[in-house]
Amino acid sequence: MKVSAVRQALLLIALAFVPAIGEAIYFRNKISWQSPVPASELVTVDQARSWGDNVIWVDARPDNEFERDHIPGAILLNEDRWTDLLPQLLGQWSPEKKVVVYCSAQSCNASREVAKRLRDEAQLRNVFVLDGGWEEWLRNKR
Amino acid sequence: MNTNFSRLIGILALAAQAQSARAELKWEQTSVDLRPGFNDKQAVAHFNYENVGNTPVHFKSVHASCGCTTAQTQNEQVAPGQKGEITATFNIGGRTGTQVKTVTVQTDDPDPARSTTVLTLKAVITPLLEIQPALVYWQNGEERKPKVITAKANKDAAIKKLDVASSTPDFTAKVDAGSAPNEFRISVQPRDTSKPVYATLTIKPDSPPNTGNTFAVAARVMPPAPTSGTAVTPSSKAAVSTIRHDLATPAPTAGSPRQ
Amino acid sequence: MDLPSRDILWRIVALIIGGIFIYAGVIKAMDPVAFANDIDNYKILPWPLVVRLAFYLPWLELLCGLALILRFFYRGGLFILTGLTFVFIAASVIAKVRGLDITCGCFGHASKNWNFSGHLALDLAILAALSALWISNRTSATRKL
Repeated sequence: MKVSAVRQALLLIALAFVPAIGEAIYFRNKISWQSPVPASELVTVDQARSWGDNVIWVDARPDNEFERDHIPGAILLNEDRWTDLLPQLLGQWSPEKKVVVYCSAQSCNASREVAKRLRDEAQLRNVFVLDGGWEEWLRNKR
Repeated sequence: MNTNFSRLIGILALAAQAQSARAELKWEQTSVDLRPGFNDKQAVAHFNYENVGNTPVHFKSVHASCGCTTAQTQNEQVAPGQKGEITATFNIGGRTGTQVKTVTVQTDDPDPARSTTVLTLKAVITPLLEIQPALVYWQNGEERKPKVITAKANKDAAIKKLDVASSTPDFTAKVDAGSAPNEFRISVQPRDTSKPVYATLTIKPDSPPNTGNTFAVAARVMPPAPTSGTAVTPSSKAAVSTIRHDLATPAPTAGSPRQ
Repeated sequence: MDLPSRDILWRIVALIIGGIFIYAGVIKAMDPVAFANDIDNYKILPWPLVVRLAFYLPWLELLCGLALILRFFYRGGLFILTGLTFVFIAASVIAKVRGLDITCGCFGHASKNWNFSGHLALDLAILAALSALWISNRTSATRKL
């Protein structure tokens, strides 16, 4: 009895592959197979890292914090010196890049504000905010 | 009888006295709205207080929500009946729009409901010029059509014209009146879209005079896009083998996202 | 020739449960991207696996639901659906314990607004029905006709 149930189960499992593969082929270009696309503007450290060289890191913290330490390769862009600092980012951005803005921790608002301004004023696409900020980066350092 | 009665009164009076021996800092307002002018670098809010209690109040900490705002008290200790103010100075920097900054004040008031007060400074900042977008760009080989930047002038500034200059001769810029009053249209055109170029366009309004206020916009011709190699098409075989693998053996992480 | 009314009762139960799984399967098969995101919310499996499961599972559910209704590979279907229900319940409990605030995704975004206890109750009821069907099937198989 049990044997036939298992055999039938295996057959069902195998049968189900047929429509599943058909659907996967149909959707093959409509879904990101390697990493989830963020639903909101937030990305985790791992997600951002998986984008490799396509990421431009933007540090939204005050000047002195940036000078003390920052994500390697990050560009400083804070609201205190927005007009001075913006050109540097604009010179590096290109449409296939992804911008990830961070500030000190989850609770600070600066990264969200900078991200919003980049979207509104500079009309950049693919601007994200690092979930957890600098604190989270430090925690995930390898 | 009399002594008992007076003793009772005495005790009641003492109790009443103990009740009213409290500190209380009363704030004239805990939220201030400011409209700094387009030339202002700072917005200052004054939060007035008075000690309406009968014991001195001591400020334990006065702490602003961001590094851009500093707050100062006139005196650390406020005697009963004394008045004073906390001054919050918000350095505007490059910020625009409605900005809300808070200052959290802690006193030694034993009542926890009153020991912490949050003072709010709301500043509505209208810049001299609102320019959008801050970047105009053309892809490599794209048609050399001009792209438009819109500049909205602050109506209190009485700007009649804008002067636009490019840092390199690769771009030309032309200024026209916009569709609305106080609006300008800046048309930017590249000379050549076959090689990557980066230029800063400096925009100078004619008013207010002698302030040296300039604004910058970036114009670029992008480098050729890198050939997007891996189109995201998994071989269906891979899909099958992954699933089979996981149904057969409980080994985890068939393709960990950590790369 | 009367069929014992018990059999009719079990047929109806099988029809209902089968119908539920067909419905659930169809809803998820229509939007595999959304289903993938729902599974991902549990944070139990890595994304590449999540995506492949999201394409496969709904069809398995659908097929097993059909198995229940049309009575082909009936026991196999029962077996799989029972296993799946166990897994769904376990995943919801794990997520709840971890404090994750997620919508189940079991019934697609139709169930977005149900709360945890509602889902759990439904899953347990389905589990009970499946177990009952399993038991009744075994006893009827040994009964001589």
